[in-house]
Amino acid sequence: MEEIRKGISKLNTGIKGLDEMLMGGLPKGRAALITGPTGTGKTVFLNSFIYLGITRYDENGVYVTFEETPQDIILNVQGFGWDYKSLVENKRLAFVDVSPNDVIMEIGTNYDFTPLFKRIEHAIEKVSAKRVVLDCIDAFFARFLNKDAVRSSLNQIAVHLKSLGVTTLISGERTSDGSGHTRYGIEEFVSDAVLELDLVGGQQQFLRTICVRKIRGTNYRSGLMEFDITSEGIEVFPKIPYKKIEMNTDYSIRRKFGIRQLDRMLYGGIPQGHMVLLSGNTGTGKTTFGMQFLVNGIKEGENVVFVALEEPIEQLKKTAKNHGWDFERFQKEGRLDFVSTDLIDIRNDRLLYSIVNAVNCIGASRVVIDSVSSLMSASMNEEQVRQFLIQLSGFFKEKGVTCIMNYLTGSSFGAVKGQLMSNIMTNDMRLSSITDGIILLLYVERGQSVKKMLNILKLRGSKHSKEVYRYEIEKGRISIIEKYEE
Amino acid sequence: MEDNANRYILTLYITGETQTSRKTITLLEEILDSELHGMYELKIIDVLKHPQLAEDDKILATPTLIKILPPPVRKIIGELTDKKKILLGLDFTTK
Repeated sequence: MEEIRKGISKLNTGIKGLDEMLMGGLPKGRAALITGPTGTGKTVFLNSFIYLGITRYDENGVYVTFEETPQDIILNVQGFGWDYKSLVENKRLAFVDVSPNDVIMEIGTNYDFTPLFKRIEHAIEKVSAKRVVLDCIDAFFARFLNKDAVRSSLNQIAVHLKSLGVTTLISGERTSDGSGHTRYGIEEFVSDAVLELDLVGGQQQFLRTICVRKIRGTNYRSGLMEFDITSEGIEVFPKIPYKKIEMNTDYSIRRKFGIRQLDRMLYGGIPQGHMVLLSGNTGTGKTTFGMQFLVNGIKEGENVVFVALEEPIEQLKKTAKNHGWDFERFQKEGRLDFVSTDLIDIRNDRLLYSIVNAVNCIGASRVVIDSVSSLMSASMNEEQVRQFLIQLSGFFKEKGVTCIMNYLTGSSFGAVKGQLMSNIMTNDMRLSSITDGIILLLYVERGQSVKKMLNILKLRGSKHSKEVYRYEIEKGRISIIEKYEE
Repeated sequence: MEDNANRYILTLYITGETQTSRKTITLLEEILDSELHGMYELKIIDVLKHPQLAEDDKILATPTLIKILPPPVRKIIGELTDKKKILLGLDFTTK
């Protein structure tokens, strides 16, 4: 078994998130195929593979271009701040220019592509390349009548590149007939790994997806993942593998709010690794509770993350300042990090990845998501939110992160006497299987005034107060006043 | 003396000094001799020995025959057996 495992080692591509998705990288010394319809980002992938190889891993590259001229490619990647010109001058990168820059007339079909083969080999020798890309071979096929000769030459090249020990990434157009095959059946000879790119319609923008169709002999994370092309290149947002989660929680470790009465109601605070739903109508103070929870974490020497899906970070900082909390300073000191996203098209994988990154980056042990309801009102449906939270919960439990998820309920207002708890929305309950605890905030109209009530509905694995308490928020300070009795 | 403008400069790329290569060269020289009456220069390049030249000339397949002069430059590939096709492909105007 060990021998087999040693058989195929992996090569870090350096592309953000891709190596996690591929659980290490591409099969080293093999050829991989990246397919997709026009405009899905194949060429950017190839360029990232080459550029990061040279600059990050000291692995020089050869770029075989069947489509654009080297001059155009050099210009194109300047947008990412990549200086191919000096890489070529310093013999870190070599082009094999097979772009259709002149007309070749075929007077017979009896020819072979040995020159191409030799040129690639020569370029590899010239810069001692470890990585090779072929972009895009459909253009190669399109130029010659003798498709069999093209196919057999590519086969020959793939085999030869393997024997030279270089890792190759080849791009090919995928037909849109849904078969998942490339137009010229390139998979036949490049079958060590196949990655598929796609564009899918979002509400306001296209989402880019990548999935692994196969990787020979090694593991990878299956399923569609989102990726993005940013000013720095490619970033893939791999899902968190849920099956592999190891629980890392100790219920005796409690995370306090720093509100004496509330912590007592929680029998010492929220246990480590718990995901607690803080549910309440607008104005009940969910965000303030969340901030209080984070601030107290910082006070106790922990680092924290605020996932801001409701309001801009600047506005949150201002609110915090009014409460006497200097979020700006916390952030500068690396104690507090913010995660925010464009709410019009929330991208699950991307948001998940940002949260995971933020938590890992500062070693956070407390996270507040403000709010989960925003996820639902945005582009995620209920099932997607559920999946998102399941994945997040898995990660938090592995890391021992305690999380408060704010949740907006509309109908917790105006309960009649004796029916204080009558109006918990069913949505809360649907989320309740994921949550380890529920804290309810409610308005109650009594006499001439509206009072704010708090109840701990559930706290998994722990005792908790069952009473209803009245609380008040004054100048951002939460105070639990008394047990509420009618 | 013949006019230099009528002089043909040609390059033939081959792969290795094989039987096929030799046959191609012999055939081509016969055709050129009969058509151009010695008014040509034919350079023969083996891509196995000179991959950089193949790179500079952007050669993809062998055999490739390039007509460099007189302009326009022409590249033809495929077996060089059919005299008519070669002449047509190289844009020769037989006088």
